[in-house]
Amino acid sequence: MRRVILHIDMDSYFASVEQQARPSLRGRPIGVTGRPTERSIVVAASREAKRSKVWTGMPVWEALKACPDLVLVSGNPERYLSITKRFVEILKEYTALLEVYSIDEAFLDVTQEASKHGGPIRMAEEIRRRFREELGECITATIGIAAGKTFAKLIGTRNKPDGIGRLDDEEIPELLESTPVGDVWGIGPRIEARLRRVGIRTLRDLGNASERFLKREFGVYGLHLHEIGRGCDSTPLVPYTDVPPPKSVGHSKSLPPDLRDFPLALIVLRDLCDKVARRMRRLGYMGRTVHCGFRVGSIGPHYGKQTTLDLPSDDGETFYEACRVVLGKIPVKPEQVSNVGVSVGNLVPTDRTSYALLEADRRRERLNRAVDRIRDRFGDGSVRWGASLLVRPIPQHVGGFFMASDDLEIG
Amino acid sequence: MLYPVNEPIDALVVYRSGAPHPFLRAFRWKNRRYDVTSTHLVHREREGETAYLVYSVGCRGDTYVLRLDTGRGRWTLEALDADG
Repeated sequence: MRRVILHIDMDSYFASVEQQARPSLRGRPIGVTGRPTERSIVVAASREAKRSKVWTGMPVWEALKACPDLVLVSGNPERYLSITKRFVEILKEYTALLEVYSIDEAFLDVTQEASKHGGPIRMAEEIRRRFREELGECITATIGIAAGKTFAKLIGTRNKPDGIGRLDDEEIPELLESTPVGDVWGIGPRIEARLRRVGIRTLRDLGNASERFLKREFGVYGLHLHEIGRGCDSTPLVPYTDVPPPKSVGHSKSLPPDLRDFPLALIVLRDLCDKVARRMRRLGYMGRTVHCGFRVGSIGPHYGKQTTLDLPSDDGETFYEACRVVLGKIPVKPEQVSNVGVSVGNLVPTDRTSYALLEADRRRERLNRAVDRIRDRFGDGSVRWGASLLVRPIPQHVGGFFMASDDLEIG
Repeated sequence: MLYPVNEPIDALVVYRSGAPHPFLRAFRWKNRRYDVTSTHLVHREREGETAYLVYSVGCRGDTYVLRLDTGRGRWTLEALDADG
């Protein structure tokens, strides 16, 4: 049976939610930012702003040049997450085969359920109507319908905003012919450039390329590319009930200009280590491989290295010490950095690790548990490292993938 | 433009079975009653164990942001958007 996949993509999500909350913003070009200063970036633009060529990721100064009437709004991540949970609750009523792909995107496999709702188009219309009624008139979604995730996303993108797009079998040859490979989900600029170098420009070119060649060039991903080029996509959904265990836990932070001096960036890194450790304790994992890196300049090179701990840990101080070791191995010693990050991999469930033998380690475990209890009760900002008081609290990211799947806590 | 207020208020609320949150019908601020004519958005926030419901509502042509501490049942008028 041919699959029926729905790709739900919320339109200009963060900006739409802000316009829903504040009618005075409706119909106006708005840019959601981390902080409404010229040195910040636009993390989401409203439809009106997009019409004036304001795009996600654009520096605020540039956005204001493109659209002098742009209204800057500080993002509210908790608000967006709360609305995401509401729309996911609506989607769960339609199928259990629901993959929450990001804070504003989801896939539904409705192969079995579509006919009960009068077909996939009727179902998509009903979902969009419920979003308008239960979330608000400004919070709209575009829904793409196809037999696979990649094509559902592609056809949805072509019907944005506030639309429904369906790809029927007979339309596939024309789509393959006319679609540049760079338009396809998962094919980024680097892969696109590599494909272009060998004369592959459209999906049809991809389908005509030799499977062996693509496998040799891109490994297993090459087989997926070949399949897409032939108009097929068997990529399975990862239902929210069946999310695989994490492979790593990490956080990174783009630094505002006043925190770019390396010693201040280290304080931010210390906080990030603490955040990573707290998340790992909440998830019930310890890790051994600590990766740390930084970026020099806003579009400069990224430097990173990793080290392996003797024993798995879920302690922020241990991760920070490991980061200092890693940073010492990186030959570049910049005075300023624009981004720092840490991630911990090689994870093992905490209940499968051995009991700490040293009293000092056991004390630290007790301390971490006590701090977790205080933070659970009074909020994450209630206990902080003394050094981190030298810088203002690290704001939550607003854009992209700031939300880890465990933040969504969808069950 | 959002003007911060942060003052405790009395609220008149309707609880409907099956609804994701209680419905704010009116509130009293500075000895004046404000009838809610539209609910723009309601979202949840959390600070440690304390859960809040944040309401963005319209009355008399203005938008008001109110916060309900769901544990204590206390309402606060957080801000006023006088632009509508």
